[in-house]
Amino acid sequence: MLELKNLRKVYGKNEVLKDITLDVRDGEIVSVLGPSGCGKTTLLNTILGITDISGGQIIFDGEDISEKPMENRGFNIVFQDYALFPNLNAYKNITYGLRNNPDISTEKEVDELIDLLNLREHLSKNISELSGGQKQRVALARTLVVKPKLLLLDEPLSALDGVIKESIKERIKTIAREFNLITIIVTHDPEEALTLSDRVLILNKGTISQHSEPDEIIHAPKNKFVTDFILNQLIIKRDNIFNLFGMGECHA
Amino acid sequence: MLKKEKEIKAIFIFIAVLFFMFLALPVFFVLIRSFQTDSGAVGFAQYVKMFSSKGFMTALWHSFAVAGTSDLVTVILAFILAYTVNNTDIHPKLKSAISVLTVFPMLLPTITYGFAIIYSFGKEGLITKLLGFAPFEIYGFKGLVMGYVIYTLPIAFLLINNTFQYIDKRFVIVSRIMGDSKLDTFLIACVRPMIGTLSAAFIQSFFLSFTDYGIPAAIGGEFNVIATTLYNEMLGSVPNFSNGAVVAIVMLVPSALSILLLNYLERFNFRYNKTTETEFEKNIFRDIVLGTLSVIILICVLSVFLVIVIIPFVEMWPYKLQFSLSHIISLFTDSSMLNIYINSITAAVLTAIFGTLIAYGAALVTSRSKISNKCKQVIESIALVINAIPGMVLGIAFMFAFSGTPLRNSMFLIVMCNIIHFFSTPYLMMKNSLSKMNESWETTAMLMGDSWVKTIIRVVTPNAEYTILEVLSYYFVNTMVTISAIIFIVGAHTMVITTKIKELQHYAKFDDIFALSLLLLATNLAVKGIFALLSKRKKEN
Repeated sequence: MLELKNLRKVYGKNEVLKDITLDVRDGEIVSVLGPSGCGKTTLLNTILGITDISGGQIIFDGEDISEKPMENRGFNIVFQDYALFPNLNAYKNITYGLRNNPDISTEKEVDELIDLLNLREHLSKNISELSGGQKQRVALARTLVVKPKLLLLDEPLSALDGVIKESIKERIKTIAREFNLITIIVTHDPEEALTLSDRVLILNKGTISQHSEPDEIIHAPKNKFVTDFILNQLIIKRDNIFNLFGMGECHA
Repeated sequence: MLKKEKEIKAIFIFIAVLFFMFLALPVFFVLIRSFQTDSGAVGFAQYVKMFSSKGFMTALWHSFAVAGTSDLVTVILAFILAYTVNNTDIHPKLKSAISVLTVFPMLLPTITYGFAIIYSFGKEGLITKLLGFAPFEIYGFKGLVMGYVIYTLPIAFLLINNTFQYIDKRFVIVSRIMGDSKLDTFLIACVRPMIGTLSAAFIQSFFLSFTDYGIPAAIGGEFNVIATTLYNEMLGSVPNFSNGAVVAIVMLVPSALSILLLNYLERFNFRYNKTTETEFEKNIFRDIVLGTLSVIILICVLSVFLVIVIIPFVEMWPYKLQFSLSHIISLFTDSSMLNIYINSITAAVLTAIFGTLIAYGAALVTSRSKISNKCKQVIESIALVINAIPGMVLGIAFMFAFSGTPLRNSMFLIVMCNIIHFFSTPYLMMKNSLSKMNESWETTAMLMGDSWVKTIIRVVTPNAEYTILEVLSYYFVNTMVTISAIIFIVGAHTMVITTKIKELQHYAKFDDIFALSLLLLATNLAVKGIFALLSKRKKEN
């Protein structure tokens, strides 16, 4: 379990995160949702350990890890642009972590992961030969090979188009379930957040606007920000799609 | 920061100390020296003396006049060449031939240009003989202008050509559709976006001509410029180090100003992110005129170098014109000549290896670390300052700083001097390449158990290989052809090709001068070729 207690982050005079308190259960997918500048990337970086915190505590499985260096926390991240190494092919990217810790995953586990993410036929390809969705899957595999205790995904779907988006969503859900992995996803897209995660954390100007299950956000928005920023976007989208299918203003 | 970046800090400290020891301190010595008379009195006396000396003021005026004139010619010629390469429909092979041949003189030392001009256009010169008359008087103003044009044309061409590639050629189409006349279109869509670069080319060429020593050393004759004055004050028959220091500072000021101006102008350059392929209007007249003009320019430039490939194979120019290998053979059998060649290669290889490492380290600090901005600015300023310091001034600074020490005349100093002298361009090339790489690589690799050093070796370096090869070759070629700084540093045992050429001039052994130049050219061509092959293989993989 991950617990954040009164987490604060200040850059100069600018308080980017104010008093964030929440917990995430094992195997849970949480999306951090908010407009740009709301502090969601900073929150991700503090959990990962790139950025040190100005106040409060980060507790993982009962241990205070606030001061622990990034590389000792055992967390891992897939960056928005994947950060794949172009000098290595897909397979060498996936198994990169084994060069430092050969025993962390068995050959069988790596094989299963490759099949789970449907990467078998792309293993010998150069990074430049992969499509966006394939790159995303290679990056996910590379991260999972080192068996992180917690998985952070920075805008995992924003660079992908239509159908691939849906299939990656399913994979992320499968992974969280199979590995019982805490997965924290940063996104600016309400649809993505609400359809992908168990709970959604809505941030606004460095504070928690609402932290609930998707259903509750839709039916019991806590404040005007959630209504304006989250719900209205979804309603417009929904109406557009209903119109396309000739279903007029019908509200299901 | 939870990430401590100890390695980056160590690299930063190493580089800062290095440049303090081998740049700041030596140049400071020159400054101090310029305020001391030989009797030890401190003040402006030296400056007053130099500025009231007629000889010095004439040399200074000559430098401005020659550099300014050649500059104007260079920029116009470079513009014509770059325009032909970028804005005409001439055959692509001719275009690449123009691009390659224009920069060819960079593979030779400037001191060779001077001798090549003498042997081409002098009374017994090759071209004089072919034409039947000497086209102009080579010693002094005209010869210098010609030498400087040959010297600065490649650099001006590279700058202008680079910008041409980034100008959106659809401007031309828009301008034509809007009903502009052809002249207006040319001014709006071509000259206007080039203004920043043209001024940069102008200033850069001026700086190079103003500070070059090789050309006036060979061809200046009685026509003194500031570079020859500086040499004579330091290493002439009646040396006066205090006078030399003043001349060095006087040379430094316009150079520094020109580089500051260059840096300022940089802001006015437009940058387009992507280049667009556009078809040109068919215009055979334009293609023929510009194509011919470019070919003529190149023939004029390259014909000067014809003598370098001819004279070493002639028994005794111009009296015995039989083919002979005796000069080439004596080059390889004369152990002192061979030693000089080995010295040059050693200096070039060491400079290339260590210079590349230092430039790479510096670029890692500024583009792949979260070290404080102040530290990054220190490195940026080092790169800027070095660009503004003429090689001769750096050489004299080294001479003042290390003459009493065991380092005097050592290969170590020669290599250090070259590393520092040429640091700016390799650093900028490296920085450009490293800052384009994904910024999350180090974090990603660290999360998978890499140490910083491992990530640099396994990920960053393999992806920078192409640039590393370019930097290695840049350092190598420049070390082979440089003379201005190291002429003040080399000793009897560390003589290199360019400084030997200067010495051979004294004994009028021009056959040897050309044979050495040819050897140097062949070496540079071979090295360029090897690096081009390596880069090509890298690209294919």
